[in-house]
Amino acid sequence: MKVSLNWLKRYVDIKVPVEELCDRMTMSGFEVEEVEDLSATMENVKVGRILKLEKHPDADKLLVCQLDVGEEEPVQIITGAQNVFEGALVPCALHNSRLPNGAHIKKGKLRGLPSNGMLCSGEELCLKEADYPGAEVYGILILKEEYAPGTDMREVLHLNDVLIDFSVLSNRPDCNSVIGLAREVAVVLGEELRLPKPAYKTCGGDVNEHIAIAVEDYDLCPRYMGRVVKNLRIGPSPDWMKDCLRGAGMRPINNIVDITNFVMLETGHPMHAFNLNDIAGRQIIVRRAREGEKMTTLDGKDHALTPEMLVIADAEKPSCLAGIMGGLESEITENTTDLFLECAKFRRDNVRRTARTLGMRTESSARFEKGVDTIGVEYAMERALQLISELDAGDIVEGVIDRNNGLPAGRVLTVSAARINELLGVDVPYDEMVRILNALEVETTLDGGTLTCAIPYFRDDIESRADLAEEVMRIYGYGHITGTPMRGEVIRGKKLPARVHGDEVKALLAAHGMRETATYSFISAKAVDQLALAQDDPRRRVVPLLNPLSEEYAVMRSQLASSMLTVLATNISRKNPAGRFFELDKVFVPRALPVVEQPEEVPALCIGVYGAEEDFFTLKGVIEALLARCGAEGEFVRSGEPYLHPGRQAKVLLPGCEEPAAVFGEVHPAAAARFGIQERVYLAEVKPAALYACMEKRRALYRPLPKFPASTRDLAVIAGRELPIAEMEKAIRAADSSIIERVELFDVYQGSQIPADKKSVAYSIVLRAPDRTLTDAECDEAMRKILHSLEKIHVKLRQ
Amino acid sequence: MREQLEQIKASALREIGACGSLKALDALRVNYLGKKGQLTAILKQMGKLSAEERPAMGQLANDVRKELEEALAARQEALRETELAARLEEERLDVTMPGRAKKTGGLHPLSLVTNDLIDIFQSMGFDVVDGPEVETDHYLFEALNLPKDHPARAMQDTFYLGENLLLRSQTSSAQIRVMEQRKPPIRMVCPGRVFRADEVDATHSPVFHQMEGLVVDKGVTMCDLKGCLEQFVHEIYGPETQVRFRPSFFPFTEPSVEVDITCSECGGKGCRICKGTGWIEILGAGMVHPNVLRGCGIDPEVYSGFAFGVGLDRLAITRSKISDIRLLFENDLRFLEQFN
Repeated sequence: MKVSLNWLKRYVDIKVPVEELCDRMTMSGFEVEEVEDLSATMENVKVGRILKLEKHPDADKLLVCQLDVGEEEPVQIITGAQNVFEGALVPCALHNSRLPNGAHIKKGKLRGLPSNGMLCSGEELCLKEADYPGAEVYGILILKEEYAPGTDMREVLHLNDVLIDFSVLSNRPDCNSVIGLAREVAVVLGEELRLPKPAYKTCGGDVNEHIAIAVEDYDLCPRYMGRVVKNLRIGPSPDWMKDCLRGAGMRPINNIVDITNFVMLETGHPMHAFNLNDIAGRQIIVRRAREGEKMTTLDGKDHALTPEMLVIADAEKPSCLAGIMGGLESEITENTTDLFLECAKFRRDNVRRTARTLGMRTESSARFEKGVDTIGVEYAMERALQLISELDAGDIVEGVIDRNNGLPAGRVLTVSAARINELLGVDVPYDEMVRILNALEVETTLDGGTLTCAIPYFRDDIESRADLAEEVMRIYGYGHITGTPMRGEVIRGKKLPARVHGDEVKALLAAHGMRETATYSFISAKAVDQLALAQDDPRRRVVPLLNPLSEEYAVMRSQLASSMLTVLATNISRKNPAGRFFELDKVFVPRALPVVEQPEEVPALCIGVYGAEEDFFTLKGVIEALLARCGAEGEFVRSGEPYLHPGRQAKVLLPGCEEPAAVFGEVHPAAAARFGIQERVYLAEVKPAALYACMEKRRALYRPLPKFPASTRDLAVIAGRELPIAEMEKAIRAADSSIIERVELFDVYQGSQIPADKKSVAYSIVLRAPDRTLTDAECDEAMRKILHSLEKIHVKLRQ
Repeated sequence: MREQLEQIKASALREIGACGSLKALDALRVNYLGKKGQLTAILKQMGKLSAEERPAMGQLANDVRKELEEALAARQEALRETELAARLEEERLDVTMPGRAKKTGGLHPLSLVTNDLIDIFQSMGFDVVDGPEVETDHYLFEALNLPKDHPARAMQDTFYLGENLLLRSQTSSAQIRVMEQRKPPIRMVCPGRVFRADEVDATHSPVFHQMEGLVVDKGVTMCDLKGCLEQFVHEIYGPETQVRFRPSFFPFTEPSVEVDITCSECGGKGCRICKGTGWIEILGAGMVHPNVLRGCGIDPEVYSGFAFGVGLDRLAITRSKISDIRLLFENDLRFLEQFN
């Protein structure tokens, strides 16, 4: 809420500097967003009377002016403008002056003659026609009224004011008004609040002879009040009112429209003025719009209405969108003679919904959305009539029509003052509580430690002890709250197992050179196509957002692979030569589509690597390390993930689990290309839940260190080319020998030295007995048994 | 013979003294003391001596031998030392050359901030819980004292998945889930992802992160809230940082405050970062609203509590002076590698 300091001063004395006012308001709950000192826009620009005007001897288009600027001697200024004349009052930017456009004016010489400043145009003073009549005329601004030469132009232009933009919290709709803010200012400064006391004369008559009002939908309009003003005398508003409106960012129009706007800003109650003679049947009906009804609002826009929208209709048609904007047809113009004036309360969510649906937002709708009170409607109406009377803008007809279905009763709270202090942890003196609450117009009495508080009608937000505690404290000062260390029983904070395990997984991956990433939880619906997932793949079942920011972020992700591929693509395109990444986050699995209940949020882990030193086996190494850390023993089996290279991918099967714990491999070149990646990249999708389960069971048990030395024998064999290495290792382990400790693959060779359908494989076999040093004979025997076992899968000793 | 011995001794000592390498020294040892060495050869002639001469000569020969052995040993030790010194000199490295190590990875700056906060609060007895990111209207709004027509609902542009299903716009929903499940005393924090339909720019992201904190017990006061937050602020921003409460409004706390800290850039004097105020807003907090407690089956006449919500992205950004929130979600390696 932007308000001018001069306007505030109409209701409360402000004797402290603006900075202090702003600080104190901020610390009591009204943060100051911006302070604009209008007088700072110009400096040393004064009213001057042109005493004498002569042609410049050396320039046809220049005029030499002698001006009275309130000093002893006339000042000489040269101008190129041709609309000046002797006797005219003009704005003079004197030596060392500053203009609103930032220009700094100094004295100088023009074609040999001294010029001690500059005469200003309206444009140079950043004025519009609405700011000062004639401001947009080409040439120097000729002042219309009489001012003493030397008068500061800021006074002429009403710029001796400061605009303060207060941020009003959503529980304080009463402060979307100057009076509301003035009340707060009065409390924080300890000053008295002076509110206007509406009084006016009527011209007699009876409002009921002019208009009938019916409210059909009290649920959307709890109160509707109407008055009639005849014989309008429409004209401009006085300067003080225009200044107030401009300061609040509103354009003055005419006295009647300005009064409705002024009262809205002053009291927070939007008002609407109808041309009485345009109201068909002289009937006002507050009702829901009928299906198919249309209307054109003041801004010239056509709207199709629905029965969810509340309108103010006459006997024939809607003529106003309730609380949002009036209709073009009943607009007040300079020729309007009779006025119907509305002040009402409309339900906030209804106004909000209608305004949103129609894409409108007005000062009025904004206030109704935030909430206006029911009782204050009457004061606002009275205040408007007072202003009409004071400005002699028309003749007020006697009588008011007030339609409501019962006005809210005043609320009285009874609370223990001690309990307020208990919540705060501060000893606010009880009489101080009483003083603060009364200053806020919460009529409070203290009786034996009990506060009885009558809540004013405009403070719907005060409902409980906690609310009263806040009112007391924000005025008493939060600076009185001093921190106390945590109290109570010593309890140990615990993490959920999933977080503990997840942190361990992250640490392990980081130790393997991986960087954690963070990507959005919503992705494009096309991601599953980019991954070429099968039509019946469960990951195609995604939860769409009803109001996504864009197609790029349309669905909740069911997998992390596409996000990871995007990360890899970003890094590759930015010429980062290599990278190792992981992301551990949730994926969203719907229980049914369309969703009716919360989807399952399942932890997922994705790893992505690329670079000259990466291949399938570097990734596999990471997976193996991960399994080892989790205490999981997995079997690696060929897999069929559609977005991975068909020959370079595997899944990890854990004992007792049907679902693989991980699938990983080189990304299919076609899939990579769909993410804009041309080089080889490697990706793993891991199901952390399976790993976490292993971690739960994991227990480190000590095995005694060997007491006797090991013997190492190398073994070179020839095997079928397609025989998996894992099969050979199984066969070696299956040998009938208890002394095989370790089997280490150290070479695999295919090439000219051996037949094309074979490969040469070399192992280093470590043999050890726990209770003795092995003899050569024992080792030979073990190797013979190993060979025997290998021969069963057609693997022979390499000769 | 005596002369021969003296001669051998003299020449041997001279040669040992002049010997420059362990290998040459070994040759000298062989030459004089070896089986076919000069001294041995002399000793073989002992038989030719008379019985009277023999003991004296024998004594002398042994003395010479002993002397030579000692000289050899001494020389050997000296040469070893010299050679070691030479080797060490030879092996001198340019220690300014870069080291070799496997590149280690690291956590995302958001995880680092989250973990720091978790450590602080866990040490103060807070449980670390998790809550769903897809929430129902009940947990996100109704139970947090935001009834259907509450204007504060419009403050946050929420993503909808269904009529009653939304992406949580604040971690405060976790308060309700915890209070429904447990009875006081409660101390919990819930870090997590939140979502708002904000257009993306340097300071706004539709996906961001918060950490909710909640304490409910008998006699919890606003001073306890301040004390708790001071602990956290001092850990993160340094013990000299001051904490200030400024009145605010949240539907689920009453009283509600914005929590400001003295600007870490200027120490509270006022600068560009704090817009000249000397203070920076870091989180929102307050005393749990009695309606919220009551709705979770906790009697506000018996228990009270406080709650707070910290923006983790903003914390990460201010702590590391990150210029643009989008950097957090781009995952450029050169960015990620700056955080360890």
